[in-house]
Amino acid sequence: MPAAQPTVLVVDDSPTVRKIVQMTLQREHIRVITASDGLSALTSVADEMPALILLDIQLPRMDGYHICQIIRKNLQFRQIPIIMLSGKDGLFDKMRGKLAGSTEYLTKPFDSVELVQTVKKHLINWQDRMPAPPEGMRPRLRYRG
Amino acid sequence: MDQQDRIMDGDLQTLGLQSILKMLALSEKTGKLFVSSGPETLSISLRKGQIVGLHEEGVAQSDLLGMLCLVNKLDPPRAQMIREMAQGNMQMALAMLVERGWMSANEMQRCLEFAVTQSISHALRWVNGRFAFHRQIVPLETTMQPLNVDSVLLEALRQADEWEEIMGEGMTHHLTRTTVARWLPEVSKDVRSLGLSQEYIEVLCLANGELPLQAVSLVLMTPEARVARIMIRLLELRLIEVVDTAMETELQQDLSNVIIKCQYTLAYQRHSSHPEQHLLGLITTLSECINGLLSHHGKFARSLRGRGQLPSVEIVRYLERRFAPSLHTLAKQHSILDTVTFAYGQLDCNDILTLNKVVKGEQLEEFYWEAVQGLAAFLRFVFTTLLTDEVGNSHTGRQLSVAWKVFLSEIDHEVQQYQVYRAHRNTQMARGRDPMQSSPVGLMQNLNGTPERDGGFQSPGTQRRSI
Repeated sequence: MPAAQPTVLVVDDSPTVRKIVQMTLQREHIRVITASDGLSALTSVADEMPALILLDIQLPRMDGYHICQIIRKNLQFRQIPIIMLSGKDGLFDKMRGKLAGSTEYLTKPFDSVELVQTVKKHLINWQDRMPAPPEGMRPRLRYRG
Repeated sequence: MDQQDRIMDGDLQTLGLQSILKMLALSEKTGKLFVSSGPETLSISLRKGQIVGLHEEGVAQSDLLGMLCLVNKLDPPRAQMIREMAQGNMQMALAMLVERGWMSANEMQRCLEFAVTQSISHALRWVNGRFAFHRQIVPLETTMQPLNVDSVLLEALRQADEWEEIMGEGMTHHLTRTTVARWLPEVSKDVRSLGLSQEYIEVLCLANGELPLQAVSLVLMTPEARVARIMIRLLELRLIEVVDTAMETELQQDLSNVIIKCQYTLAYQRHSSHPEQHLLGLITTLSECINGLLSHHGKFARSLRGRGQLPSVEIVRYLERRFAPSLHTLAKQHSILDTVTFAYGQLDCNDILTLNKVVKGEQLEEFYWEAVQGLAAFLRFVFTTLLTDEVGNSHTGRQLSVAWKVFLSEIDHEVQQYQVYRAHRNTQMARGRDPMQSSPVGLMQNLNGTPERDGGFQSPGTQRRSI
């Protein structure tokens, strides 16, 4: 059964960004889980099935584009909206994000009101997009580095 | 919802909630009654004319388990376990507590009955609104024993009258069931010495800037109107203040934006590989952060609030009065801060930022290092002062404080990196080697324990070799 509150996964290597986003979204009654790198992000996606992912581009070990592509290739998780979060606001990076399958792009330093609006926009009907996996059959994301 | 299931609907002005409930009870109806007014909706489940469930929408659900912990009726680890399983369903949470023997069945029934009475009492005071009764199958398994409509209505009406009485007394504080109160920051003495009764002390203890009046009432099982009366007295005694939720949301957003901007500047400056540039980057970040905080405080300082649009001169004067003395005190320890001035309510660090035009080499680095230390100390002072003034020891205050500490740890990490480099350089010099000939890059480890590629300092010699 999906949780009553939507869960948002925040992936950023900066603890400050993770904490601020968590604080901002929790105020809106949104559950927030965090990951500081690509691999733990993929683990969280598989374990928690978030309703939305806020994904930084520059991450240690695996960049945001790569994580986005892995998620988009997985049948179970491909519907999850992914908002890319990065300091880069150039057209090339936006295009690259789009090609990797991101839903939207937020430029750092982002405004917290804008962040809430964007997240809420993509959380409409989140429960419809989240089919619960059968008990004991949690899908796994595979990373073939 | 199916239209054909709706067997009755109308306007609350035509038929009040009391009459509707009585009518449904007399005719022993089974189904769901929806009553709405503005953003709030109440759905009351009835089986054979008795109340078997109630749900409120449009009102933030309070964390009952957390509140039970606050009054020492439940352990936090147990509360967390139940919270995860119940997923926000209060009835389910209570049933689980009973199942595990952490609450008696009687206590649970009293709690549920109390919550139903409070909600109906609140809805009885709605003048405008709509109602609709749906002939739906009400789930058989409800944790609450069916409640007699007449007895619930009697108590609910009594409490509604008490609320009306409070409103009619022309109190200066207009409290509602969603009002959140918290202790004033100045209150530091032992509340037992104030001669307050147990009831007052309990409300005072729960006025933590997080719980709405409605939740305080539920956890203490004291009618909302009574809690409102107690809060009014505590306000008069200047022990608590009413939290302006809208203002605090705005305050939190503004401060979050300041921190996010500064983090971004810090991350951007991190790419400097030369120690001087690294220190300069830190100075830029610190001064930008201090100025962001000063601008923020100019908007949200307690003594500037509620006075409409203030002339900027007054704000500037206030900021300088509040922070300039501490800057001067810090300048005694870090003399470089003598060059920093206040201009239009902002810190002017231009003299430090352009020091490279006057000084060069090691001397410049020493000045920069002193400036970093001084500004970091001043930044901590500014944040602590503004947070205490703006939100005190409240939920918002504690949350912002945590976020702030996380940001400071990022700054500290950068400072430590430089300190490691400095220690390495001094050791090399003591050994009589040229510090510029050996790269301290092996010492520069980032948080992940991997050697820093971009952020580590490299002597110019090493840089040339890398190229």
